[in-house]
Amino acid sequence: MYGPQTLTCKNLQEYLKSLSRDILDRLYNHPATCLAVFRELPALSRQFILRLLFVNKPVAQVLLASWIPQHDAGRDVGDIAAEHRQGTQVLLDMCIWQEVKDQQGNMAIRLSSTFRENLKVAILGGGRPWTMSATLDSDPHQRNVEFLDKYAMDRWESVLQFLVQPGRGQKAISRDAMRTLLHAGLIESSGESDNMQITSAGFQFLLLDTASQVWFFILKYLETVTERGMSLVACLTFLFKLSFSTLGKDYSMEGMDNELLTFLQHLREFGLVYLRKRSSGRFYPTRLALNITAGQNKGIIDVPKQGNLIIETNYRVYAYTTSELQISLLAIFCDIEGRFPNMVVASISRSSVRRALLKGIGAEQIISFLKQHCHPQMYKLSSVVPRTVADQIKLWEMERERLEFTEGVLYKDFMSLHDFNLLSNYASSNGVLIYSDERQRTMVVTKKGHPSIKTFWKEEQAK
Amino acid sequence: MGKKHRFYEKGKKRRRDDLPPDEDEDLELDGVPKASTENVEEDGDQKTSKDQYGAFDYRPHIKLKDDHSSRPLWIAANGHIFLESFSPVYKHAKDFLITIAEPVCRPEHIHEYKLTAYSLYAAAQMAGSTEDPANAQKPESEQANGENKDKDKDAVPEDITSFYDKVEEEEEEEGNMKTLSFEVNQDKIETLQKTCIVLDYPLLAEYDFKNDTINEDIKIDLKPSAVLRPYQEKSLRKMFGNGRARSGIIVLPCGAGKSLVGVTACCTVNKKALVLCNSGVSVEQWKQQFKMWSTATDDMICRFTSDAKDKPFNAGILVTTYAMISHNQKRAYEAEQTMNWLKEQEWGIMVLDEVHTIPAKMFRRVLTIVQAHCKLGLTATLVREDDKIADLNFLIGPKLYEANWLELQKEGFIAKVQCAEVWCPMTPEFYREYLMGKVSDQKIKLLCAMNPNKFRTCEFLIKYHENRSDKIIVFIDEVFALIHYAKTMQKPYICGKTGQKERMTIIQNFKLNPKVNTIFFSRVADTSFDIPEANVLIEISSQGGSRRQEAQRLGRILRAKKGAIAENFNAFFYALLSQDTREMGYSRKRQSFLINQGYAYQVITPAQMVGMDEEQLHYSTKEEKVHLLEQILAASEADMYEEGVFGERGGAGSQRKAGNIGSLSGADDSIYGEKRKGFKEGSSALLIQEIQLTLTNTDQPGTCVTAGWHASQVMFAGDSADPE
Amino acid sequence: MVNVMKGILIKCDPVMKQFLLHLDETMKLGSKFVLVDLDECHLFVQPEVYNSLKNLIDEQYEKVYYNQKSSLE
Repeated sequence: MYGPQTLTCKNLQEYLKSLSRDILDRLYNHPATCLAVFRELPALSRQFILRLLFVNKPVAQVLLASWIPQHDAGRDVGDIAAEHRQGTQVLLDMCIWQEVKDQQGNMAIRLSSTFRENLKVAILGGGRPWTMSATLDSDPHQRNVEFLDKYAMDRWESVLQFLVQPGRGQKAISRDAMRTLLHAGLIESSGESDNMQITSAGFQFLLLDTASQVWFFILKYLETVTERGMSLVACLTFLFKLSFSTLGKDYSMEGMDNELLTFLQHLREFGLVYLRKRSSGRFYPTRLALNITAGQNKGIIDVPKQGNLIIETNYRVYAYTTSELQISLLAIFCDIEGRFPNMVVASISRSSVRRALLKGIGAEQIISFLKQHCHPQMYKLSSVVPRTVADQIKLWEMERERLEFTEGVLYKDFMSLHDFNLLSNYASSNGVLIYSDERQRTMVVTKKGHPSIKTFWKEEQAK
Repeated sequence: MGKKHRFYEKGKKRRRDDLPPDEDEDLELDGVPKASTENVEEDGDQKTSKDQYGAFDYRPHIKLKDDHSSRPLWIAANGHIFLESFSPVYKHAKDFLITIAEPVCRPEHIHEYKLTAYSLYAAAQMAGSTEDPANAQKPESEQANGENKDKDKDAVPEDITSFYDKVEEEEEEEGNMKTLSFEVNQDKIETLQKTCIVLDYPLLAEYDFKNDTINEDIKIDLKPSAVLRPYQEKSLRKMFGNGRARSGIIVLPCGAGKSLVGVTACCTVNKKALVLCNSGVSVEQWKQQFKMWSTATDDMICRFTSDAKDKPFNAGILVTTYAMISHNQKRAYEAEQTMNWLKEQEWGIMVLDEVHTIPAKMFRRVLTIVQAHCKLGLTATLVREDDKIADLNFLIGPKLYEANWLELQKEGFIAKVQCAEVWCPMTPEFYREYLMGKVSDQKIKLLCAMNPNKFRTCEFLIKYHENRSDKIIVFIDEVFALIHYAKTMQKPYICGKTGQKERMTIIQNFKLNPKVNTIFFSRVADTSFDIPEANVLIEISSQGGSRRQEAQRLGRILRAKKGAIAENFNAFFYALLSQDTREMGYSRKRQSFLINQGYAYQVITPAQMVGMDEEQLHYSTKEEKVHLLEQILAASEADMYEEGVFGERGGAGSQRKAGNIGSLSGADDSIYGEKRKGFKEGSSALLIQEIQLTLTNTDQPGTCVTAGWHASQVMFAGDSADPE
Repeated sequence: MVNVMKGILIKCDPVMKQFLLHLDETMKLGSKFVLVDLDECHLFVQPEVYNSLKNLIDEQYEKVYYNQKSSLE
């Protein structure tokens, strides 16, 4: 593949599916996890689970199938079947249930008992208290929501700031954070030992909305957790618990082991929790933590950020900001023209957008960034980013897509049509044929496909 | 002393007609204050430091005022000013800024202005000295040391409102100001003016026409039917505010009614008026305008062009062209008489139409030849392509008024135009020739213009709009291409060679004949015609990156349409571009002026031209396309001559290239003759009748015949009517 | 005998193809690089050129777009 790759991020389900059965089973040993997972499932899957919640025996598949009408007025039969398939498959993939044979020997479904028990607790109550819920006396240093929001954004922005200028401010973030960024491929070392520089993925990351950024970051962090000698299950479980906490409320650190305490420290550094000092025995979750699992498809309880960009039809961008971070982000795809004490004048041009495109950033990402950060004044218009500007950015991207390059091997001058067809059919069936012209008896296969074609040809010749 | 001495000598030289070329450069700056050559912008830029992004960093020089959130301005070291249009103080600030500064861009939210020597010249009027405007700005700016003022509910800081009250007072009465007046010897006036210019203290010329007993009134009045729109009134108030006529320039978008402003000014001054325009057709148009809006009768209006030479001697109004009076060549006896008479007259007012389309030299000549008490320049844009630093505008007077295009559009005074850039892919064969670059530049232009896909797109758009009963004008700069397009699509066309009468015939048909809905024009139409009823403009080719040409073309369709709802798009401007050629790059530059006025160009790619393949269009096969290419390549240089800039027949300098064999032999005319016959076939009787109708009905302005069309938006694939 | 060539398959629109052919003929990239002209939309070019090719195409295209004559003469 040529060119910088697009940043992709698994959502919660995909992530969980990638974990082993054993880990999943341990994860499901806590109500918070089950509930969090449950919420993210498709409607049909949730229906199934609820119905099976109190059934201890395996249930025949045919019975399950009977719960869904095969025909529904106004819906395509194919669609219904597809929904059914999807609903059952995801439960299988996430080890929430398994396929077994029931007593009559029919194909049946059994809900995982761990999952079942813990989900029941989550929905109905009871069970052990969640560690964090130990009662606390009121905090002499009570912190309110406003403080927490500011703290969270400050911390998070220092991570972003580091990304933007890895050369400076190396002391601003911890080695752990840096390690995660490296692992995530957002920065790379540029040869000299101490110098890091941002990668194409890093640029794309910077333009994402905060909730997506945090999720991506945490995911990558979790991938490194076992290397650090921590337990993935413990961390994940803790995260799920966090996501059900209340903003503005403090929680006890009682009963947390060292591992978990370390994890908590890291979370503090990224801005997901606040604690005044380690010895205070209590911590406050911030909005960033709450969004971790809630943020995927549902509405985001995002920090009510006042957007500050005005985008004009003449390609000018005016930013009411003094934040160096904001300006660095803008500079990725705009030309900064003038700096005033409370405002920055910038403009979008073909060259500035191409600069960004070359770094692997997509037009859609730029446009979405602009939309996210637009000034309230822009809401009066029907489209916050002027349509002509958005279209033009996309067109500049399309310009670069006019050529498609593929490394390959060309074959021509076949003696007979038969030979040509033989080879091209073989290549085609192997999925490596990228060009073929019967009249000219010319064909091209991928570079990777060439060796096997070569072998095949030799064998044919030998016959 | 030495300076003045040199200056006098130069003055004398200026009177002669035969100037050697190398003297021109010095002379161009003559009469223009030296201060105008200083470039505030450049100086400011050089002195300002840059930040890590290469941006000018104004922060060190500036401090924010405490209540800055209620103040709408930022001022940069290079004289650029940014203004928030959504601020409650906007109204005050904008009036002030437009007077003292030149607008750079005025889109929806944040406007940018810049201070230039010329713009401050206008500012000098407001406060009586060049010092005051600087002080005046401070209350509104967000910088400089500020006192903490309480914000009241309407968030307009007190100092600003009180300042404005003061300013308005000053404009109306001169009570509070002490005025010193002294009379100057008549023949020393010019000397005085020039000396002041050398001192960088340009004088403001005001003509006290009411008390001018020496020159007779010409006794014309505005008709009651002439109703001025608010912005027209405002501009005239700036000119006549204190009872005298100020010289200067009024800037209004094309189609916004400049002629009415000119006519009204002439009626107000009521002394001998001289109107200068671009071409013979404009002369006719101005005459029509005078008759329409004022009580002037035929015998009072004298036309002086190569085609029409009325007797000037009793006329109160003389309308002529710049070329006509500024050329050096020998004139016929009668023309010579008229010229002499013209030079001797003491004109009350001289109206200079489209003053920015005239080359500097010609412009100067006109000013030397004509003696006028008051000069009024009318133009749609102060933008000159040559971007001269020394501003010749000083020779007319300061800018009196400039309208805001977007605002006029919102208020419905000019049409709401949907601008679009349509990308037409080249055919591989055409592109190959283009890339090879072995042909002349002229042929390269033809390749871009006659790109078969562009042709098809044009055809398609014409069909589409004719079906909606729209009136369409198509611009093609290259005559070879123009004739080809028009002949193939069987539409009438007008170019430089087209005689005056034929032009009028075609235009009348366009206005009145429902069968004639499309006309093809060459550059000759860029400045001269006035076609109220056109609402679609298609641009096939144009002159490089000329922003002025683009703005002027847009002006052809800006006239507000009767019965149109201001919010919907009711006019369409299509720039057809051959993809992957230099036309794409030029287009960006061309659009820049209009984009700064707030227009936005929608890009339409081939994929979005829905239904084009199904239509019956020319050049659908490869053979036809290749054949066309061959025709172009085979055309000789002579066949492709470029017509003269002003399209004046017999005008000096209009044909720079060596004589075109085709036209000399009459070959071209015969083609055109054929065209005319075919075109009039079957309807010639009707045509003549209608023309006669028009000529006698001179009191009625042309009405829109095409009652069938409605204001609506053009929908292309990918368009959604819903807001995002 | 079948002819075997290693290289890069380029797929593009017919107009872009003309542009690439032009670069090839005028040796704008230093040398000829087109191995086989396959059809209206495909070219097969030398593999060595790949890294420089994309950037050089960008550069040359910019020049055409902005009509900087020096490069096309």
